Amino acid sequence: MAALPRRIIKETQRLMQEPVPGISAVPDDSNARYFHVIVTGPEDSPFEGGLFKLELFLPEDYPMSAPKVRFITKIYHPNIDRLGRICLDILKDKWSPALQIRTVLLSIQALLSAPNPDDPLANDVAELWKVNESEAIRNAREWTRRYAMDN
Amino acid sequence: MGSIIGVLKNILCRMLQLLSFGKKTITNSLSVYVKISGGRTVAVDLDPTWDIKNVKEVVAPRLGLEPNEVKIIFAGKELGDKIKISECDLGQQSILHAVKVRGRLRTTLPPPSTSLIEDIDEQASKPLSETLNDTMFSNEDSSKSSSNIDDGSTNSGEGTNRTNVHFYVFCPTCKALKTGKLRVRCHFCKSGAFTVHSDPQSWNDVLEPKQITGLCENGSELCADILNNKEPTFAEFYFKCSEHTSLGEQDQAVPLYLIRPNLRDVPCLACTDVSDPVVVFPCTEGHVTCLDCFRQYCITRLTERQFWQHPEYGYTLACPAGCPDSFIKEIHHFRLLNDTQYAQYQRFGTEEFVLRSGGVLCPQPGCGMGILIDEGCVKVACINGCGYVFCRLCLQGYHVGECRSADTEIGANAEACSYNVDPAKASEARWDEASKVAIKVLTKPCPMCRTPTERDGGCMHMVCTRAGCNFHWCWVCQTPWTRECMGNHWFG
Ligand SMILES: [Zn+2]
Ligand SMILES: [Zn+2]
Ligand SMILES: [Zn+2]
Ligand SMILES: [Zn+2]
Ligand SMILES: [Zn+2]
Ligand SMILES: [Zn+2]
Ligand SMILES: [Zn+2]
Ligand SMILES: [Zn+2]
Repeated sequence: MAALPRRIIKETQRLMQEPVPGISAVPDDSNARYFHVIVTGPEDSPFEGGLFKLELFLPEDYPMSAPKVRFITKIYHPNIDRLGRICLDILKDKWSPALQIRTVLLSIQALLSAPNPDDPLANDVAELWKVNESEAIRNAREWTRRYAMDN
Repeated sequence: MGSIIGVLKNILCRMLQLLSFGKKTITNSLSVYVKISGGRTVAVDLDPTWDIKNVKEVVAPRLGLEPNEVKIIFAGKELGDKIKISECDLGQQSILHAVKVRGRLRTTLPPPSTSLIEDIDEQASKPLSETLNDTMFSNEDSSKSSSNIDDGSTNSGEGTNRTNVHFYVFCPTCKALKTGKLRVRCHFCKSGAFTVHSDPQSWNDVLEPKQITGLCENGSELCADILNNKEPTFAEFYFKCSEHTSLGEQDQAVPLYLIRPNLRDVPCLACTDVSDPVVVFPCTEGHVTCLDCFRQYCITRLTERQFWQHPEYGYTLACPAGCPDSFIKEIHHFRLLNDTQYAQYQRFGTEEFVLRSGGVLCPQPGCGMGILIDEGCVKVACINGCGYVFCRLCLQGYHVGECRSADTEIGANAEACSYNVDPAKASEARWDEASKVAIKVLTKPCPMCRTPTERDGGCMHMVCTRAGCNFHWCWVCQTPWTRECMGNHWFG
């Protein structure tokens, strides 16, 4: 396996030394490009109280390509599909090598605080979020309680 | 080893030098040409330890003049008598210009006096490339340097301001990135016997025409006319490669002016290493990457066809941080790519041009040749590429009659969307490394612009990566992305 680029080493060190509040990101013992991530549900969101597991992978051409991120914990959110994939511009066409793992994690946290049902990638969750927001929020709370607590 | 040969060689050299110059003995000679106003060129061997006065002593007799009747011009400056050859940035086969001092002593403006000689001495200096320094050329925006934290280092490091300027060029002879030398000539008659009235202070002064005025000493009637008509003569700046022996006046190199010395140790925005030199992007922030990351950035964007066909600059890229108005104007910067990559850059650039002109790209995987076709023509042959003959409408092999698949007309019936996806394949549709291999099997043409697009995992919602298209389409239906597609097969 090729040597780990210095940028990844530096980013990892900084994530360890100054963690993002509410987020933990730990590299895998056997693969330094694979991170085990835990995001706490933001206060005043339907995800409050939940601990969400994610996986983050830095592809070979990182930072020219965006990190690959996926929710492992099931979550009821208009911008996250049932396989945990996230619809977030900075993970796609808005990615820039000036961004970092840290920025990505902060953006995901922000997405939990502010779901965006108007995104063109919307699905049935987004549909409900638009026509009946309170019911959607109730579902999100219920999923958080069921899948993101006590584990 | 070789010491005897060395000694013999030395003796031989000394003998030759004695023959050619009588009194002066040259130990480490520099062969240059001296171009005399009027067009004659003579070859001269110089000793780097000589000063300009010595040069005049050698050159003047060949002009039939006294040494004090000659002035020597190089790289935009009249060289002062006390300046050493070694300080002049001269390379082998460089061309110096010798001009007869004419108007100087019978000039109408200042009356001849003893003080005039001193004035002239002050005017004379080192060549431009020796008087300019990197700090002048590193910040177009002077406010930036003052706001920068390491202002202190400029005071403490005594040498900082004295560093001679570094220019980087793409040399067509060496076919590589090399350091370059700044040279000056008359914008009108192209003669190098030209002195500038002021030094360029920024890249703008060097790259844009008619920024710096000067005096053409070529003696050409034409340039004299310009002066008489009170239109100033301007300096024209150009570059030579410093790493190969000059092949004459036509031997020039393209300045890669975004490549600059990293004076303030700015880390690369991609890998965070501090390296030197670096690429400074033309955005207001002046974002910096190292050369390796610049190449990597180009390759990644090239593969995704995210270069932009700019109407003025050509096929180019903007700052990787996404800054506005930051396109690279000088596309020779892409010569930093290796030959294969540069060939791909040229091919994609041509294809982009083809698409803009209403042509198509060959749909055969691995080909993608750009083909220009007439408006009504449906049968297209990839003549200069793979030879594939295909239908312009459905991009399948050429056929007689109607296209068979329904996905040709944009916004066709919803039937096409009930396309069956293998559930096993769909469950594998995860982004991880293993499934990437399984998914990375096909490319499909963007329904809008026909650019072959690869689906690298994720959902069926495709956004054309080609800069300028950005069409949202459905991988399954090959039609615009709709709510139906979302409901039926968002993830396959
Ligand atoms: Zn060269
Ligand atoms: Zn001229
Ligand atoms: Zn770098
Ligand atoms: Zn920028
Ligand atoms: Zn072809
Ligand atoms: Zn057809
Ligand atoms: Zn397109
Ligand atoms: Zn569809």
